[in-house]
Amino acid sequence: MVCKKCKHEIGPEELKCPYCGAENPFAKRHAKNMRKFNADFTQTERKVTNAAEKTGGLAKRAAILVFVIVACFVLVIIDSFAYVNFGNDNSQKTSKNGKASVAEAEALLEQGEYIEFVEYLNVYSMMSSSSKETEHLKHVKYVAGEYYDCIREMESMILRSTDPDYFDWLDGDISNFCMDLEDFYDVIEAQRDGEDNEEYKAYIEDMDNELKAAMKTYFSMDDAAVEEFLSLSRNQKGVKIEEVLRHE
Amino acid sequence: MNKKVKVLLDILIVIACIAFVLCLMVVFESYKNEIDRKKKEDPVKQTMSVFEYRLKYKAYGEILDSYYTDKMKSPKAPEGMEDYYKVAEYAHNSFMSRVYAQKGDDKMIKSNAAKLKEQREQLGSYQYTADEIDDIIKNAP
Repeated sequence: MVCKKCKHEIGPEELKCPYCGAENPFAKRHAKNMRKFNADFTQTERKVTNAAEKTGGLAKRAAILVFVIVACFVLVIIDSFAYVNFGNDNSQKTSKNGKASVAEAEALLEQGEYIEFVEYLNVYSMMSSSSKETEHLKHVKYVAGEYYDCIREMESMILRSTDPDYFDWLDGDISNFCMDLEDFYDVIEAQRDGEDNEEYKAYIEDMDNELKAAMKTYFSMDDAAVEEFLSLSRNQKGVKIEEVLRHE
Repeated sequence: MNKKVKVLLDILIVIACIAFVLCLMVVFESYKNEIDRKKKEDPVKQTMSVFEYRLKYKAYGEILDSYYTDKMKSPKAPEGMEDYYKVAEYAHNSFMSRVYAQKGDDKMIKSNAAKLKEQREQLGSYQYTADEIDDIIKNAP
């Protein structure tokens, strides 16, 4: 800038002209502005620092809190997964569906393996009435289920331990068998007429014959005795079986 | 105001930390318990010891009953339980042999006899059980 008096070049911050000694009004104003600016800057700086000091801990604390809560959730999930995995360790059960598995089940029926047929359906969850794949087998299925229970109870009775030092479950087995036998004949009566397929009807008859053959063999009965036995009440049946098996 | 929020957050952090430590303890404890349970209650070991106990008293009926229940869960014999399955299968087929004979079903008599022969050969050190089972079946009732 130029001095108004002597017209020499002078700096904007020089309060007086170094050549003629005249005052520089711009430099005065500039100095005043700079003081004000510095004061504003210091005040703003103080405000910002104070605000930062007041809120600085909050964010840190919130972050720690969120982290700990997330860690808790992770642990809970790990724990629940551990239970699921441990629970499934011994399960060999596989899901098997479709026509191939029904064909396998029907092959067992054809072979006269009724126990294995029921086991197969049970293992692959096709025994329930809601199984659509085995809908056409429903009558055979019901009868086979009862047949399975009867044979199972008979095996328990016949192959029981006769050792006097061992537990005697015979009364319980007899009671269960009598109940299962009644169920078998209730079911067979209901399902026999409902079955239209001749082949399946033959399986139902075969199961009936097989159960009667088992009773004849293991309860020392002939045809007439079996028929008479079947006409007895549940308690009378139980007494009769106990007499035979305990040789009373 | 900020001071109050900070105190509140501090309290929440302490509570969350306690919850975290508790969760950690629960996880650790359940893991430890599961390992202990597996060590103590090895299902194969347990099943086989019950099987041996029943064999001692010739309680084949109970062996068969358990076998039917176990077979629902494991259609094939789990490792270490093969002998138990074989003995039970032999007992079932031996029981059925007299039923088929009574019924006069030649086809089933033949196939069952073949099965029994094969199963008897596979029984190994448990072959004596086949004799015991046959004896019970033969003399029943």
